[in-house]
Amino acid sequence: MRTSLSSLQKVLSEILAFAYRNYALTKNEFYAIFEMLFWPMISLISVGLLGEFLYLEKDAVAFIIIGVITLSVIQIAQIDVTYVMLLDMWSMSLKYIIVTPTPFYRMVTGAWLFGSVRGLISLVLLILLSAWLFGFTLTLPLTAMAAFVLGILLSAMLIGIFNCILILVFGRRAEIFAWTLTAIVMLFCGIYYPVTILPEPFKTLGLLIPITHYLEFFRSFYGFQTVFPNPLAIAIVETITYLALLLVVAEISMLRARKTGLVLKLSD
Amino acid sequence: MVKAVECRDVWMVYRTFMEKDTVALRGVNLDVEDGIIFGLLGPNGAGKTTLISILATILIPTRGEVRVLGMDAFKNTRKVRERINISSGVRMPWGMKVYECLRFYAMCYGITGRKVVEDVISEFELEEHRNKRFDDLSTGNKQKANLARAFLNNPEVVFLDEPTANLDPDMAKKIREMILRIKEERDITIVLTTHNMKEAELLCDRIAFIKDGKIAAEGTSEELKRYTKMSERIILKVRGDVSRLSFPYPFRLDGNSLTVFVEDAEKALPSIVIKLAEQGINVESAKMEEITLEDVFIELAEGS
Repeated sequence: MRTSLSSLQKVLSEILAFAYRNYALTKNEFYAIFEMLFWPMISLISVGLLGEFLYLEKDAVAFIIIGVITLSVIQIAQIDVTYVMLLDMWSMSLKYIIVTPTPFYRMVTGAWLFGSVRGLISLVLLILLSAWLFGFTLTLPLTAMAAFVLGILLSAMLIGIFNCILILVFGRRAEIFAWTLTAIVMLFCGIYYPVTILPEPFKTLGLLIPITHYLEFFRSFYGFQTVFPNPLAIAIVETITYLALLLVVAEISMLRARKTGLVLKLSD
Repeated sequence: MVKAVECRDVWMVYRTFMEKDTVALRGVNLDVEDGIIFGLLGPNGAGKTTLISILATILIPTRGEVRVLGMDAFKNTRKVRERINISSGVRMPWGMKVYECLRFYAMCYGITGRKVVEDVISEFELEEHRNKRFDDLSTGNKQKANLARAFLNNPEVVFLDEPTANLDPDMAKKIREMILRIKEERDITIVLTTHNMKEAELLCDRIAFIKDGKIAAEGTSEELKRYTKMSERIILKVRGDVSRLSFPYPFRLDGNSLTVFVEDAEKALPSIVIKLAEQGINVESAKMEEITLEDVFIELAEGS
C-alpha cells in the first residue's frame, strides 16, 4: 500500500514538474501573460466589429465568435504543450530532461494541465467580453459546455504533441510550427465558416480534424446544421485515436533523435 | 562486484539527411570500477562527449552493449536514469530562477519535498543566487547550479562533461575541490571528461585516452606515463635554425624551447647537446624533469 502510494506520488510529481515549469515561466515572463490576454482580445474585438459593420445577424455573429474563442484557447493551450520541447530547444538543455526518468507522456500531461488553466482563463475572459460587447450568450447546457471545453483543450494537446514530434524530427527548423500549426489546422476545420464550403480534398481533411466536430457541436446549440448527426461522438473518437497515435509516434521520434544524435545537437 | 559502467564494442555513427555519415566512436570497450573518479581525456572531436552521452542514456549507440550499475542501459533505461545523472555544459531552462530550475528537475525525479532542493543549494554554495535568474549568473555559478542539478537525485554514478571548461583558475580550483569533497561524502562513482591534464591527474583514479573514437590507452596516471616508455624529459632553450632538426629521440618544438623525451635524462643529456651542436644549434639552458600526463596526451593525440 505504502509502495503504491509512493509510486503514485512519484508519478504526480513527474507530471506536475512540467506544469510547475510553465507556471514559473508565466510568472517570470511578462510576454506569457500578454499573449494569454492581448491577442485573444484583439481578435475578438476586431472580428466582432467586422460582424457589426457587415450587419450580420445575431446567429452569424455567434458563429464567428465561437470560432475566435476556440482558436484563441487552442493556441494558448497548445503552446504550453509545445514548450515541453521548445523551451529546452531554446535553452539548449534538452538532454537534461531526456536524462530524467520522466516519460514523454507525463511531460506533456503536466504541461497540458497548466496550458488548460491558461486556456480556461482566456475562455472565461473572451466569453464575458463577447457577452458585454456583442451580446453573445451561452445557450448550451453546462455539461455540453464542459464537453466542448475539454474537447478543444485535448485538441490543443494534439497540436502541441505534433509540434514536439516535429522538433524531435526536424530540430530547430520546426520552431516555426509552434505558432503556425494552429492557424493551418484552423483553416481546414471551419473556424469562421462551415467545412462544407471547402472544396475536396480539403473538406474531407477538415472532417478528419476533431476541432471541426467540436465546433459543429457547439454551433448546433445556436441552430446551425451539422455534417454528421452526432459531432461530439465523432470528435471524441478522433481525439482518442490521434492521441494514442501521436504518443506512440512521439516515443519513436524520441528514440530516433537519441539514435541520430539530434538530442545532442539541440543541447549544444 | 558490479561495475559502475561497462561498455562492449560501442560504435556511434551520426547519420544526417543528405550529409555524410560521421563515425564518432569505433568499438569502445571500457570498464569503470565502482566508487572511483574515472577520467576521459582526448582532443576535440575525439568522441568524449558522445561516449559520456551514451553512458548517461541520452544517446543510443549504433552498435554495442552498455551496462550501468549492472543494468542494460537501453533495456532498463528508466531504472538506470533514476540512479545516474549528468552535468554537461552550463544550460538550464530559459526564463527561470535557480531555485525554480532545481525544483523543476527534482520533481522530474519524483522528489516532492523542498528539503532536497534546499540541501543542494547550500551544498553548492548557491544561497545568495537562489532567486536570481539562471541566465543572469556568472559562468562559475552556472556551473555550480548545473552540478547541484546533477546531484538532486542522489545518483550513484555521475557523468561530468568538462566541469571546469571556460572557468577562471580560481573557480576551476573551487569546482575541483567541490567534486572531490562530494565524491568523498557521497561515496559515488564519477566519470568526467576534461582537456586539462593537471585536473585529470589531480582528480582521477583512472584515465582513458580517446582518440578518433577509440580508447588509445587506459590506466592510472602513473601507468599511462609508463605507457610512452619514456619516463623523463629534458627542456632545452636553444639558439639556431631548428627547422630541419633531426634526432634519435622523440621531441617537441615550441619556438626556441625543445622538449626531448628520454628514459634517463642525466645519461642522455651530453649526447643530445653534441647532436644539437653538430647541427649548428647551441643550448642556452637545460632542465630535467619527470614526464607529465600532458606529454602522454600529446604523444597519443599526435599518434607518435
